[in-house]
Amino acid sequence: MSELSQEVVRVEDIVKDFRPGLGLKKKRVLHGISFSVRRGEIFGFVGPNGAGKTTTLKILMGLIFATSGKASILGHDIGESSFRRHIGYLPEGPYFYDYLTGREFLRFYAKLCGVPRAQIAERVTNLLEAVGLAHAGDERLRNYSKGMLQRIGIGQALVHDPQVLFLDEPMSGLDPIGRKEIRDLIWQFRDRGKTIFMTTHILSDVEMLCDSVAIIVKGKIQYQGAPKDFLKNERHSAEIVFAGLEKSIQAQIAERFQASVRDSDEHSQFGVAEDQVDDVLRALLEKGAQVVSVTPRRATLEMIFLNAVQEGGR
Amino acid sequence: MTEATAHEGQIEAASNGGLVRVLGSIATIAGNTVREAIRSRVLYLFLVFAVIMIGAGVLVSTLSYVDRPRILQDVGFAAVRLFGVAIAIFVGIGLVHKEVERRTIYTILSKPISRSVFLLGKYFGLVATVWLITFVMALAFVAVSRAAGAPVTLVHYAAFGLSAMELGLVTAIAIFFSTFTSPMFASLFSVGIYLAGHLSRDLRDLGAASESETFKIFGAWAHRLLPDLEGFNLTTHAVYGIPVTFPDVAYPVLYAMGYSAIILIAAMLTFEKRDFR
Ligand SMILES: Nc1ncnc2c1ncn2[C@@H]1O[C@H](COP(=O)(O)OP(=O)(O)O)[C@@H](O)[C@H]1O
Ligand SMILES: [Mg+2]
Repeated sequence: MSELSQEVVRVEDIVKDFRPGLGLKKKRVLHGISFSVRRGEIFGFVGPNGAGKTTTLKILMGLIFATSGKASILGHDIGESSFRRHIGYLPEGPYFYDYLTGREFLRFYAKLCGVPRAQIAERVTNLLEAVGLAHAGDERLRNYSKGMLQRIGIGQALVHDPQVLFLDEPMSGLDPIGRKEIRDLIWQFRDRGKTIFMTTHILSDVEMLCDSVAIIVKGKIQYQGAPKDFLKNERHSAEIVFAGLEKSIQAQIAERFQASVRDSDEHSQFGVAEDQVDDVLRALLEKGAQVVSVTPRRATLEMIFLNAVQEGGR
Repeated sequence: MTEATAHEGQIEAASNGGLVRVLGSIATIAGNTVREAIRSRVLYLFLVFAVIMIGAGVLVSTLSYVDRPRILQDVGFAAVRLFGVAIAIFVGIGLVHKEVERRTIYTILSKPISRSVFLLGKYFGLVATVWLITFVMALAFVAVSRAAGAPVTLVHYAAFGLSAMELGLVTAIAIFFSTFTSPMFASLFSVGIYLAGHLSRDLRDLGAASESETFKIFGAWAHRLLPDLEGFNLTTHAVYGIPVTFPDVAYPVLYAMGYSAIILIAAMLTFEKRDFR
C-alpha cells in the first residue's frame, strides 16, 4: 500500500473566518492549520474549549466551508461526496429525533445510507447490540440518558460500516461508566482496522486512547505526533531537596547547573535537568549539604498542554 | 483489492441506479418529516382549532335568517385556508429550523446525501403533512355542511384541491426563506408574501387604472413577480354556485407547480452554499 493511501485525512493550510453578523468585523478562527491522520489509528484532536476543533471537523464534514486551504478524506477532496459512504460522524452535543425509538432512528439512517431493505432489520438489531442498547431499542430517544444518546449516536455513525469515524467530544457530559463504555466502543472499532478521529479537551482520554495527537490552541496547531514522543521531547527534570548550605554557596551551585531554586524555612529545593542530577548531588555533598530527597518530575500531558496554551496565547 | 474498494463495490451493488437512490433518499426524509409532524403537538393544536372554527360556522350562521348555508361555508372555507397556511408556514419553518438547531442535519449531510436532496425530502414531507391536514379539515367541512343541510358540489372539491396546490406553493416559499434566515424573519417574510400574493391582482388592476406610468409598471411587475394567489380561490364559486370551467382549475395547478419549482431551485441554491453553524 502506498504512503498516500495510509493517509486517511489530510488537512493543508486551512483558514476559516467567521463573520459574526452583517457589518461586523470578521474573526479568524483557524489560522492555516495542517495535519494528517494515518489509517488504523485513534487520532486525538486536542485543545481547550474554543480552540477550533469543532470548526475543523465541520469543515471536513462539508457543513461549513473553509475560507482557504484544502483537505481530503481517503484521498478525495472534501468537496466531493462519494467518499461519504465510508465515513461516520457524531456531532458535538447532538439532540437526535426524540420522537423516534432507538430502532426507528437507526432504521432511518440505514435507509438513508442505502442499506438493502432486506438487511435493514438485521443490521439495526446488530447495531443496537454493538452499542449496548439492545434492551432500549423500542424506547423513544426522549427517554434516553445522555450516555445512551451518545451511544445511539455512535450507532448512527456506524450504520453503513464506515472506514473512518469522526467523533466530536464523544466523552463530554458522561459519567465514568458512560465514558468507559464509549472507550470500549472506540477500541472495538480500531481493532477491526478502522480509523478514529476524535476531538477532546479531556487529557486522560488522550493518554488512555490515542495513538497520535494534534494539539490545537487558538486556531493554530502546536504539536502533532505520538503522545509518547510528545512527552519524550519535553526535558524531564528532578527535584532535589536539601539543607545545611550557606546561601552564597547554594547560589553558586544553582548558577553552575542552571537550577531553579525554591527556599522554605527548613529546606532548599533545586529543580534540575534529569541528566545533571548526579553532578548536582556530588557538588552539594562536597560542600556539606544534607540531601533530604531526590524526586523525578515527569512532565505530564497536562503540563505540556498548559505550556502549549501559554505559548499559543503569546 | 483493498478493504475500502471491496466495501465500495458492496454498497454500490446494493444501491444500483443513481436516480432510484436519490428518489429513495427523498422519500425516506419525507417519510420521517411526516412522522415528526404527526408526532408533534402543535399540529394537533392547529387541527383542533380548525375543526372548532368549522363547527362554529353553525353557530355563526344561526345569527342570520338568510343565507345560513352560505355563511356556514364561508366560515368553513376561511378556517381551512387560514389553518392550512398557518401550518404550512409555521410548522414548515419550525421543522427546517429544528434540523439545523438540533444538529440532526449534520449527521444526515455527513452521509452520501446532498443538501438539495435533504431539502426536497423536507419539502415533500411537509407538503404531504399539509395535504393530510387539509384532507381532514375538508372532511370536517363536508360533515358539518351535510349536517346543516348545505350543499356540497364538485366545485367545493375543486376549491379544496386548489387550496392544497396553493399550500404547496406557500410551503415552498416558507422553505426558501428558512434556508437563509432565522425562523422569525422567515415567518414574517412568508406571511408577507402570502398576503401580498392575495393582493397581487388588485395591485395590477390598480396600476392599470392609474394615471401614473410608474404605477402602471409597478402594478404589472408586482403581479408578475408575486405569486398570484387569488387564482387559487374558488371558494366564492363554490359557496355561490358560480360555474367553474376546466381552465379555471388546470391553469392554477400548472402555475403552482411551475412557481414552486422555481422557488425550490432558488432554495436549493442558497442551501448548498450556506454554513451550518
Ligand atoms: N458560528 C460561529 N460564529 C462565530 N464564531 C464562531 C462560530 N462558531 C464558533 N465560533 C468561534 O470559533 C472558535 C472555535 O470554536 P469551536 O470550533 O467550536 O471550538 P472547540 O470545538 O475547539 O471548542 C471559538 O472562539 C468560537 O467562539
Ligand atoms: Mg467543540
